[in-house]
Amino acid sequence: MTESSRILQDIRSHLGDSALECSELHASAVMVTVAPGDLPDASAFLDKTLDARFVISAGTDFRRAGKGFRVDHFFSQDRCKTWVVLRAYTSAEDPKVGSITPRVPAAGWAEREFQDLLGIKAEGHPDPRRLVLADDWPEGIHPLRRDVPYNIRPEPANNVAQPMAVPKGNVVVVPIGPFFPVLEEPAFLKVFVEGEEVVGLDYRGFFNHRGIEKLGDSKLTYNEIPFLAERICGICGFVHSTSYVQAVENAAGTDVPLRAKYIRSIVLELERIHSHLLWLGIAGHILGFDTVLMQTWRMREPLMWLMEKITGNRKTYGMNVVGGVRRDIPKESHSEILETVGKIEREWLKVISAVIDDTPLLMRLSKVGVFTPQDARDLGSVGPTARGSRQPIDTRIDHPYAAYDRIEVRGIWKDSCDVAARTLVRLEETLESIREVKQLLAEMPERPIHVEFTEAIPPGLEGISAVEAPRGEVIHYVLTGEDARPYRWRVRAPTYANLQALGVSLKGMSIADLPITLGSMDPCFSCTERVQVVDVRSRSVRIITGRELSDMARRRWDRAGRSRR
Amino acid sequence: MNPAIVTTLKASAYIGLTLLASPLLEGVIRKIKAFIQSRKGPPVSQPYLDLAKLLVKEDLSSTPSLVARLAPPAAFASVLAASLFVPYGVAAPAARAGDLFLFIYLITFSSTCVMAGGLSHSSPFSHIGSSREMMMLITIEAVILISLLIVGVSGHTALLSSLVGTSFRFSFVLGLICYLFAMQAMLGKLPFDIPEAEQEIMGGPFVEYSGPSLALFKWTFYMKQLFFGSLFFNLFVGWPHFAGWGWIGSVVSFAINFLAVLILGLFVVLIDATNPRLRIDQSLRFFAGLIGVALLGMGLAAFGL
Repeated sequence: MTESSRILQDIRSHLGDSALECSELHASAVMVTVAPGDLPDASAFLDKTLDARFVISAGTDFRRAGKGFRVDHFFSQDRCKTWVVLRAYTSAEDPKVGSITPRVPAAGWAEREFQDLLGIKAEGHPDPRRLVLADDWPEGIHPLRRDVPYNIRPEPANNVAQPMAVPKGNVVVVPIGPFFPVLEEPAFLKVFVEGEEVVGLDYRGFFNHRGIEKLGDSKLTYNEIPFLAERICGICGFVHSTSYVQAVENAAGTDVPLRAKYIRSIVLELERIHSHLLWLGIAGHILGFDTVLMQTWRMREPLMWLMEKITGNRKTYGMNVVGGVRRDIPKESHSEILETVGKIEREWLKVISAVIDDTPLLMRLSKVGVFTPQDARDLGSVGPTARGSRQPIDTRIDHPYAAYDRIEVRGIWKDSCDVAARTLVRLEETLESIREVKQLLAEMPERPIHVEFTEAIPPGLEGISAVEAPRGEVIHYVLTGEDARPYRWRVRAPTYANLQALGVSLKGMSIADLPITLGSMDPCFSCTERVQVVDVRSRSVRIITGRELSDMARRRWDRAGRSRR
Repeated sequence: MNPAIVTTLKASAYIGLTLLASPLLEGVIRKIKAFIQSRKGPPVSQPYLDLAKLLVKEDLSSTPSLVARLAPPAAFASVLAASLFVPYGVAAPAARAGDLFLFIYLITFSSTCVMAGGLSHSSPFSHIGSSREMMMLITIEAVILISLLIVGVSGHTALLSSLVGTSFRFSFVLGLICYLFAMQAMLGKLPFDIPEAEQEIMGGPFVEYSGPSLALFKWTFYMKQLFFGSLFFNLFVGWPHFAGWGWIGSVVSFAINFLAVLILGLFVVLIDATNPRLRIDQSLRFFAGLIGVALLGMGLAAFGL
């Protein structure tokens, strides 16, 4: 009997009659449907008894098919490597479900999100304020409903109050954001301070919500979405395209060639190396230790050049398509990859010993931003944030994908639950990634690198896929639809899970520790700008347009190609 | 010539030198820091350009408060006045007009101006920065005063210029260690740049300042670098004087002094570039301990050690 069928049996016997329907979605994913009112009890059973970790929720509009709205709560049973989907249908006229947040605190944001975007009310939610929609967005327009066009632009309203917490008593409000020196992405933390001590805070974010999920299920096709998915993040975009194509492949049952899986793993690990190097630099900068920033970014740069050679792009690689990858990593480039990561490895070992021996640095990292294992579990933290708090979760091990079931993956966990632990996890993971890259390159099987994928998948199939991003677990869920595009595409980035835990780890600490605690979660940021060129000799300033920039890139690529030949 | 005119001329030359040489020192320090960080760094002349740019820009203010207006020039003026007591290899022009206590008062006054300026604005960041500045000042001021007194006790005078060339004793070792750490904090360098802490409180007391006001604050810091470095070399390290050589001797002394300060700058930058910022409570504990060390040094000096 497989693990997933055993879990199904467990659920069936425990939930009894309240389980309306139980089935297997695909290998390692099971689904159980209950009545909307039974969601809290069922979720508590999954969370507490079955020890399945809540990951995300998704709401879907099925009104055209006459089935009202659907709410899915996704759980991960890590030991059995199985996804559990808890499902409920609710009426089209008065969509509401029982809120699971009082029982499963990690679901707080996810429920607020479907409340905003689909208008499905989560009854009994302790904090039903808006999460995603702007404060001046009109009531009653829920963008993810199928009858709302993707390009809707309601009139902006003025003087809309921001429903944020008001401080009690004699405290000072310190506004961190929406733009703050070390927060490169817009987010607003209203921090209440007594002296130097943080006594409370409130969060408002989602200023840059771009409606990517909506675009995916209304404009793009299966093989166009990977390129949009990769643009969700400016640091670890490849995890999103990989996760998305794997979700479609899982749904369609596509058999991806082994070499493509190896290439995905190699690129993912190289991406993790660059991301962790980048993170250490930022962490140093947050503490005023700019030498760390300058040196790690210097070390990182050759890796960016390497990626440009392998994939054609410095950062947003554009390698993934459903069914495989677009470019091979030929034998000739192996030596260069090994040389680049080998150089990083040698320098990184020195960095690690420097960090471990640096007393002032450890004074700033140890016992700061303490996040207990219980909090990490309850609030659904993922990635190094969780692994620094004794949570042995790593998607590469829990839900093996790409080539990770064929190589040895060593999970790195630490005990001290503070910023120092999260730092050490990332430091050691970088070495582990380098080792994995070497093993993957050595064991790479023969071509092909992709199979033909015609975008003709029957509607109604479902696929879940998770990828271990540098920041934690990325989850993509795809429900196939008509017109060669998903009916529903759901994305959960790791920062979504980790940011919710922020309030817990910040209370009672010094305002000086706030930036590094926030930074220790490695909140994801991205930025794009046009380029300005200043000619020093003539002192003229010229703006380069997007077209010129792409022409320049093309010329440079041609030159690089010539020199290679 | 009338001695009063001579003294005035000397003082003007001294102030002019302090004003002109201090940005150069800053420029070199930035260059060294860039080197440590594998960067090219801005040209050595950059601080001059920074000051020039800020001085011609609009002075935006977010408060009608007079204190906010007056704080930058007052801090600037008090530091300029303090420079008249600092020997730069040559005896200071106001050598006999005031002692090390007056010097400490003037320095404290400039820090107090920074604090008052920060508190006169309504930004929470400048308030937090000012209260941090106050806490830091209480501890580092004591450390600097006691370490200077160690030399004073040994040389039997409180006049800074008369202390130049006091023969080196064991207690000086404690004194100079304490002085160096306190200087690092006084100059707003890591790991003690806690009141400004750009990444935490966006520059603290200076967050609301711009244009000429900000330029004056910056210049104040540049000058402090120059004469805290000079004081170190003139008091704690035996210093060759070229007093008999007339004005050439003065120029040579000043040049050697400037070079010595540059070397000290290297040391300051090295610490600055290889440390993270401490938290205010960690820093206070550190300097509280340092006061103990400085007092021990003073005890030794009192016994002639």
